[in-house]
Amino acid sequence: MSSAAEVIVIGGGPAGVSASLALAALGLPVLLVEQRDQPGGAIHRQPARGATRPALGESRHKRRWAALSAALAANPLIRQQMSTIFLGIDGRGRVLLDDRRGGVVRAVTPRGLVIATGATERVQPFTGWELPGVMTAGGAQVLLKETGEAPAGPILVAGSGPLLLAVSAQLAEAGTRPLAMLERGKPHTHPALLARALGFPRQALEALCYGLRLLGMPLRFGTHIVSATAVADGFEVLSSDGRSYRVRTLIVHDGVEAAMPSFEAADTPFPVVLAGDGREILGADAMPAEGRHAALRLAAALGHTQADVGIDAELQRARDFQQLVRGLYDHAPPPPTPDTVICRCEGKRVSDLMALPSGLSPREAKLAGRVGMGPCQGRFCSRRLAELTGAGPTGAFRADIARWPLRPVAITALANAEIEPSAAPDQPRSTTRD
Amino acid sequence: MSAVLHWNDQPVAFEPGETISAALARAGIRELGAGRHFCGIGLCQNCVVLQDGQSPVEACLTPAEAGMRLTALNQQEATDVVRR
Repeated sequence: MSSAAEVIVIGGGPAGVSASLALAALGLPVLLVEQRDQPGGAIHRQPARGATRPALGESRHKRRWAALSAALAANPLIRQQMSTIFLGIDGRGRVLLDDRRGGVVRAVTPRGLVIATGATERVQPFTGWELPGVMTAGGAQVLLKETGEAPAGPILVAGSGPLLLAVSAQLAEAGTRPLAMLERGKPHTHPALLARALGFPRQALEALCYGLRLLGMPLRFGTHIVSATAVADGFEVLSSDGRSYRVRTLIVHDGVEAAMPSFEAADTPFPVVLAGDGREILGADAMPAEGRHAALRLAAALGHTQADVGIDAELQRARDFQQLVRGLYDHAPPPPTPDTVICRCEGKRVSDLMALPSGLSPREAKLAGRVGMGPCQGRFCSRRLAELTGAGPTGAFRADIARWPLRPVAITALANAEIEPSAAPDQPRSTTRD
Repeated sequence: MSAVLHWNDQPVAFEPGETISAALARAGIRELGAGRHFCGIGLCQNCVVLQDGQSPVEACLTPAEAGMRLTALNQQEATDVVRR
């Protein structure tokens, strides 16, 4: 199915599509692998065919995706494989792809690998954040973009970062304005940084547009959720300013982070580069430039001398903007209470972690207490576990260790595996151990 | 909305092209056994359900299909998937 002549690009969002186009422009054939049934990624998840109300999207984002997707469709060097999950890199350095439609896993050795699987949302844990009906801003946005419908109201939006404003405005546009938005940070108390934000007019204008759609909605700065308790038909949410809210859906978000396993350091017979917000948080506007830059780095590693890997001014500007945003929203979160679930997969609470003997290594803590060893592979807990347990003599909890399968895979698909012969020696790799 | 999938034994109507998560959310189904829709992009694994009794799939990514039979993945099965 795949051939060694191809470069594999994982992720059909704007970074992966842009990288694919740049690789193809250098004459390299590309296999573009996407987990969904069509490209777009989280930011450009397309409405389902039956969705009548299109979700709110800023026009420059729509234009960017229209250009990328048209170029993708017209490119004969890019082969697209949708509904396919990247499971990781096996002990012989082969890329494992789970073709969910075909019901088969393929182990292939590409010419090179670009991993552009996107950012991870950060969520500050609080009592009740594990309840059904609590979802991330990104989780709410994909439902909204796909169906044009808001999740069940009333809705409360809480956490920190500019995405809270965006998702609130999108919910309002879909007909369910949130009861309130609780923002832990106090961006309005940083006048010097706000003045610098005017140097980024597109983003400043976007924030203003969102704000105008939310006129009349209480926006409570310096406020966070204390707890959410299940009540009949929803939750009772208590906030740090003593208010309480009765809602059906609670949307939480505390920024995004690049939390990709360290595949670039893996011992593979082909070069690997990370691309997009999974490599470094740079934001949607930077993704075409970021994808191009990743493609050039891969091409340089493959010996393409025409690949000029310089410092990209556009990426630097995006970096400056992200630094500004971090400064605006900088605010230390409160420590989680003992009854807060810290490991969602295993349902373990802070008190369970604290009941373990001190001085355990992360591996021992997982084996003895099951904390941080569930199917998310530490993507939603490692940072918090590391903060709570400290680094210790044996190292901290980490989310950057890649263990295949990264995602669930059917036994039948593994049994049907099509495995390319590999030149690499058959030995367990230390990077898969914790 | 004529196409229907089955959550346990409950028929759930869906629009062509939308995910299992979108269909279940519209039907007011929020508890997927021990799971629930959370991150929307397949990272948190909280919304993994069992398709036709054998394949674990993320509800937030997988397109709904007519006649699909979905059940909850219990906690033990969820961890077994990772141990395999």
